[in-house]
Amino acid sequence: MVGGFQMRKYTFNWFLAAVILLAAACKPDIDTAVATSAGQANFSKYIAVGNSLTSGFADGGLYLEGQKVAYPNLIAAQMATVGGGSFTSPFFTDAQANGSGYLTLSALINGSPTLTNVTSNLAYRDAAGRLTKYTGEVQNIGIPGMRVDLAFAAPFGAANPYLERLLTDSQVGTVSYFQFIQGRNHTFFSLWLGNNDALGYATNGGVTTDATNVLTDKSTFALLYSNLVNALTVGGAKGVVATIPDVTAIPYFNTVTVAALLNAAKAINPAAAAIYIQTGTNTVRAATAEDLIRLPFQSAGLFGVPNASGLPYGLHPLNPIVNSWVLDKDEIIKVKDYVISYNSTIKSLADSKGLAIADTYSYLNQVKTGVVVQGVGINSSFITGGAFSLDGVHLTPRGNAVIANVFIDAINGKYGSNMPTVNITEYRGVKFPN
Amino acid sequence: MKKILLSVLLSAPLWVLGQGFQVNLQGQKQIGMAGAGSALALDEASVFFNPGAVSFLEKNSISAGVNPLLFKSAFQRTGSNVTEDVKNKIAPPFEFYAVWGPKSNRWKLGLGVYTPFGGLVDWGDNWSGKYALTSLNLKAIYVQPTLSVKITDQIGIGAGFVYNHGDVNLQRALPVNYPDGRSGKATLDGTGKGYGWNAGIYIKTLSNVTFAIVHKSKVVTKLEAGSAEFDVPNSLRTSFPSGNTFNAELPLPATTSLGIGIPLSKSTLLAFDASWVQWHVYQDLSFDYATNTPALADTKSARNYRDGSSFKLGINHQASDKLALRAGVGYAFSPVQDGYVTPEAPDADRYILSAGAGYAFTPKFEVNASFFFEDVKSRKQKNIETGLDGTFKTLVYAPGISLTYKW
Repeated sequence: MVGGFQMRKYTFNWFLAAVILLAAACKPDIDTAVATSAGQANFSKYIAVGNSLTSGFADGGLYLEGQKVAYPNLIAAQMATVGGGSFTSPFFTDAQANGSGYLTLSALINGSPTLTNVTSNLAYRDAAGRLTKYTGEVQNIGIPGMRVDLAFAAPFGAANPYLERLLTDSQVGTVSYFQFIQGRNHTFFSLWLGNNDALGYATNGGVTTDATNVLTDKSTFALLYSNLVNALTVGGAKGVVATIPDVTAIPYFNTVTVAALLNAAKAINPAAAAIYIQTGTNTVRAATAEDLIRLPFQSAGLFGVPNASGLPYGLHPLNPIVNSWVLDKDEIIKVKDYVISYNSTIKSLADSKGLAIADTYSYLNQVKTGVVVQGVGINSSFITGGAFSLDGVHLTPRGNAVIANVFIDAINGKYGSNMPTVNITEYRGVKFPN
Repeated sequence: MKKILLSVLLSAPLWVLGQGFQVNLQGQKQIGMAGAGSALALDEASVFFNPGAVSFLEKNSISAGVNPLLFKSAFQRTGSNVTEDVKNKIAPPFEFYAVWGPKSNRWKLGLGVYTPFGGLVDWGDNWSGKYALTSLNLKAIYVQPTLSVKITDQIGIGAGFVYNHGDVNLQRALPVNYPDGRSGKATLDGTGKGYGWNAGIYIKTLSNVTFAIVHKSKVVTKLEAGSAEFDVPNSLRTSFPSGNTFNAELPLPATTSLGIGIPLSKSTLLAFDASWVQWHVYQDLSFDYATNTPALADTKSARNYRDGSSFKLGINHQASDKLALRAGVGYAFSPVQDGYVTPEAPDADRYILSAGAGYAFTPKFEVNASFFFEDVKSRKQKNIETGLDGTFKTLVYAPGISLTYKW
C-alpha cells in the first residue's frame, strides 16, 4: 500500500515536471537570416570620415558619452556581427570625460529652457583651448568643424583643437585632414562631410567673416569631394557616403520663430506689430515666417532692449535684429541651392564608384515633419523632438541611432549584407532635469 | 442525413474574421474538445456554451475549475537577429457553474462566473517595443444568472443576463529621459463594468443529432476614473500632472455560434462549433484624461478590428462508466488586420489542439482535466500608429482541472 501511494506521488511529480519542461522548452521560435552575411562588403577594418556629427559631438561639445554613441560607433557594433573588426575612437579618458564641456538642460519652466555649461572634468591642456592629445590608432576620424574645403588646408590642423589633438607635434599645421585620413588600410569607409560647407555660412546668419563660414563654391566642392572619394576607394575599398541635410531641417533655425517673438512682444506691448530685421542685402524690413532666426538669440538677452534712442531691439525699423542673427528668405534660397548642388555631386560620385548612399537629406526632411520608429515619435522640435541635442544642430544618442540605421539600410541595400539595425529604443533623447 | 448536415456546415463560406483577447477556456470538458460543445448538453458549463441546453441536463450540479494559462509570445524586430520573449506569467482563467431545477419540472436555473476575455503579457521594461507597451493585464469576469426552459422534449431555450467586471492595467515606457538616461513610464489602471446577455436554443432531433444556435451579446465595458500615473522627470510634471484619472471604453464583442452534436456511437459524441465573433465593435482604444495638458492630449488609437471566426471540432468518448476521454482540433481567424497588430494582442490566425479526461469517482463526484494548446501563426507586421516593426509568434499552453458535484 505504501509503495502504491508513493508510486502515484512520483507519477504526479513526473507529470508536473513534464508539463513545466514542455512549456519552458516549447518557446516560440522566429527564424531569421539577419546577421549572417557581409554580402559583397568587407567590414574587417572600417573608418569613419566626417565632421562633428561623425565624432559624436552633441549638446554644443565633444564629450565621452556622445563619442560612445556616435553613429559610426553604433554602425561598427552592428558590423561586428557580420565579420567587422574592432573600431577605435579617440575617446576622452574617464577623468576628462567632459571633453570640451557641453550644455545641459538645468531647468525647464513653462516650456522655457535654461541651459548650463558643464565645466568639470574637461580635457583642455592649456589656456589656449588646446585639448589633451590622443595617440594611437583612430578609426572614428570625425573632426568637429571639418569642411570639404578645409580638409585640404594643412594650417587648419593648428587652428582646430579636435584635429590638433590627434596630430603629432610635427604634423600640426603641416598635415591636412585629407592627408591624415589616408594610408589606413581600411576595407570599408563612411564619408559624411560637407555639412559645414553650407551650415557654417547659415549658422552665422549668412554672413561670411572667415574660412569657417564661407559658402564653398559648387565646383570647388565637386573637385575636392571627388579627391576625397578617390582617396578613400583606393585599393578597391567599399563604402557609404551621406548626403548633406537641408540646413532648415534643424531646430537651430526653427525654434525662435518670428511669430513666437512677436507674441512675446505683444504680451508686453499689445501695439507691437512687426519684428524688424536687417537682411543680407543690408535692407531693413518687417520679418516674415520665411525668415529664420538662430537658436541662440533666445538667450542672447537682446530682444526688446531699448537702444540709446529708446527704440526696442528688433521691434523698430531703426533698431532691427542684425543680419548675423537672421537667415533671411533670400539667404535660405541661396544655401538650399548650394546644398542641392553638393548633394547631386555626392550622389553622382557615389554612383560612379558604386558606393552606397545614406540619404540623410531626405531622412531629416521626414524627421522635420515627424516620424514614428519603434513606438517613439521623433521630430525636429528643439528639446522635445528627441533627435537633436541641446545645441539644435547635433544629434542626441537617439538621433545617432536612427541615423545609423539610415546608413545600415543603405549599406545592406547596396552590398547585399544583412547587418542588423540598431535598436533605437536603447538610446536616449534629451535629458530632462528631475 | 448526418453527413449532409455536416458538409453543409463545413462548406459554409469562411466568415471573414477571431480571437484577439478572447479566452476559450470556459468548461473543462469542452476545453478538452477544443472549445466545441454548444450543441451538447454535457454539463453545467452549458450555462456559458448554450443556455438552451441547460434544461436538458439530467442532474443538478455545481462545478469549479481553473486553467492556468501560459501565453508565450516572442518578438523579433525587423532587421534584428535578437528574439525577445515575454516573461513567464501565469494568467488564471477560471470557471464556476451551478445548475439547479426541480427534477419533475421543465425548467432549470443556472449561474455562471467565467472569464471570456483577458490578456496577460509582460514584455519587460527594456524590450525594443517598450514605447508601445511594456505590459498589459486585462481581465473580464462575467457573472451570468440564467433561466433555461425545455419547451418540448426536442427543444430547449435559455437566456442569461451578463454582468461584467473588468480590470485593466496597461503600462508603457515614455520616450522622455531622466538625467541618468532612463525612460519615463505611464501606468493606466482601472476597473469597469458592463452588461449584456447570452441566449441559446438547443434542438435534439429524433436521430439524436443535436443543434445549437447561441448568441452572446457584446458587452461594452466602461472604465471610469481609472488612475493615470506618469513617471516623468520633475521638470515635466506640469505636463503630466500627478493624480490624473482617465475614462475609457472597452467593447467586448458579441459571438454568434452554430453548433452540431452527433452521436457516433452509444459512448462517443462528436461536436462541431462555428463561431462568428463580432469584433468590429473594437474600432479604437481611447483614453479620455480628466486633466489635459499640451503634452497630454486625449488619445484615440485606431484598432479597426474586423470580425473574427473560429471552427472547432471535438470528440468525447466514454471509455468506461467512470472514465471519459476527449480530444479536439480547431482553427480561428484573427480579427486584427494588417497594420494593427500590437504587442498587447500579438494576434494572428491560430491552430487549436486539445485533449482531456474525466473521471467519476462516485456518481456524484467527478474530476475533469484538460490540456489546451494554441499555435498562433507567425506574423510580420509594422504597426501603423506606433511604427513597431517586427515579427510576432505566440504559443499558448493551458492545462486545467475542475471538480464537479452532482445530485
